[in-house]
Amino acid sequence: MPIGPFGIDPVIWAVLRLVIAVGLTVFLVLNGALAQIFLERKIQAVMQDRLGPYHTGPYGLLQTFADAIKLIGKEDIRAKLTDAPFFLAAPAIVFSPMVASFVVLPFSSDFVGANLNVGLLYLTTLGSMTVLGIVIAGWASNNKYSLMGGLRSAGQLISYEVPQILGLVTVVLYVGSLSMVDITNSQPGLLVNVVILPMAFLTYCIAALAETNRNPFDLPEAESELVAGFLTEYSGMRWAIFFLSEYGEVTIVSAIMATLWFGGWHGPGVDAVPALGILWFTLKTYGFVLLFMWIRATLPRLRIDQLMGFCWKVLIPLALVNIMASATIILAFADPRLPLAIVNWLLVAALVVGLPFTQRRRLLKFRSRTGESVAMRDVRLSP
Amino acid sequence: MFDFLEPLFFLLLATGVIGAGIAVVALRRITAQALLMALSFASMAGMFLLLGAETIALFQVLIYVGAITILILFGVMFTKQDDRGYGLFFQQQTPWAAGLVVVVALPVIALAFTFKDPVTPSPKGGDLIPLAASLFTDYAFPFEVASVLLLAALVGAIVLVKRDEP
Repeated sequence: MPIGPFGIDPVIWAVLRLVIAVGLTVFLVLNGALAQIFLERKIQAVMQDRLGPYHTGPYGLLQTFADAIKLIGKEDIRAKLTDAPFFLAAPAIVFSPMVASFVVLPFSSDFVGANLNVGLLYLTTLGSMTVLGIVIAGWASNNKYSLMGGLRSAGQLISYEVPQILGLVTVVLYVGSLSMVDITNSQPGLLVNVVILPMAFLTYCIAALAETNRNPFDLPEAESELVAGFLTEYSGMRWAIFFLSEYGEVTIVSAIMATLWFGGWHGPGVDAVPALGILWFTLKTYGFVLLFMWIRATLPRLRIDQLMGFCWKVLIPLALVNIMASATIILAFADPRLPLAIVNWLLVAALVVGLPFTQRRRLLKFRSRTGESVAMRDVRLSP
Repeated sequence: MFDFLEPLFFLLLATGVIGAGIAVVALRRITAQALLMALSFASMAGMFLLLGAETIALFQVLIYVGAITILILFGVMFTKQDDRGYGLFFQQQTPWAAGLVVVVALPVIALAFTFKDPVTPSPKGGDLIPLAASLFTDYAFPFEVASVLLLAALVGAIVLVKRDEP
């Protein structure tokens, strides 16, 4: 009779492994959300010259626990005219793909749920399923604000999925694999992919911000102006599940960025102690989580037409040019690293330098249409 | 040891594909129909997984569940919802539909009982490279034709919704 790992019968081990994996993922998601909410409050407080939570527990550490208990204890409210089965199913449709995404994240060289050959495609696919849950939530609420909010979010998420995937394509072309483990293994040293492919990173990072509904793209849940969009009718734990999914998705896109562009688990001392990879991976992932919080505390919210215009007129064309150029370079050169880096950095420069110019032109056009008298020196560059 | 699992999953998925398909035709609530169609597509993706075609399964979910269902829901939500029976128009053609089903179903059944697949399943996600190679060599022309068709549809959609310049 074959003996599996730890001397356990392989049949039992197969089931046990599944239970442990799911339990660990749910544990990670719940604790990640608690930690991220606490960090978000504290970091925004520091940036806005406030104290943040400090009454509950030392440094306010227990505040998020208190909030979680409050949310669990809240009355389960469902308006009478909501569409019951869909209303109840929507949070689950948003939550479950996010949990399933954790399977392919490479925490360290020997701590990967499943090393799929198509890991990146799997993550993209699961990410695209969120839209369905949001549209259904908006529809099932039987509320005009929710319906409009759901459709607005769907429009945003579908649009930004395109640059998100196009950003990944360049890296896949360069590395030649869709497996998260292979991509990590391809960048062991200091020459991580972000040095070579910064434009792909920038495209993905901006699109990921929009995909996870973070500022400045958080129109799906703009509490102050848009009546919280598709979330209007949700309260208590169902509302909390939407937000758990959001924090989980932030973790996942941060993990993707850490893996694809920043070497994943690689770091000092990993060759000697492979378990150290988990630490490096988590640190890199949380680096991006903190970056997202920084952006949230800095930038104001966009309007929906600006958001769509930026996606379709700026990000997607640049990403397509990048793919075209990268594919040509990879075919033409035996060692494509230097030309790839030059083209990518040029595109980044084009984006950063070009944006103010186009903004200025748009502003002039707008003013001439509205009949305002415009003197060139009056035109300020809008950010 | 786990041999019973594959037929079990097949049974579940087949129930999903066929049951959801029947419900799409039979139900009267159009949002429920759209969602059940998503379920049917997802079960189909599960079938591809059982066959060892992970890439196709993932594309099935990405395109059909993630994009086409959403487009249909968009269409539903932007049109007027009355109490009129949606099915009425189609239900008048029941005999024609039955005849068509027979014409399509008979070859499928015949094929299903005679087809033997000599290929053993590849390892996890192993269908990616053969798929890509055949798509860009043997089937490059159909691929390009399909992409030109999609581009034409895209341009046409933009022309249709474009506002006249004032």
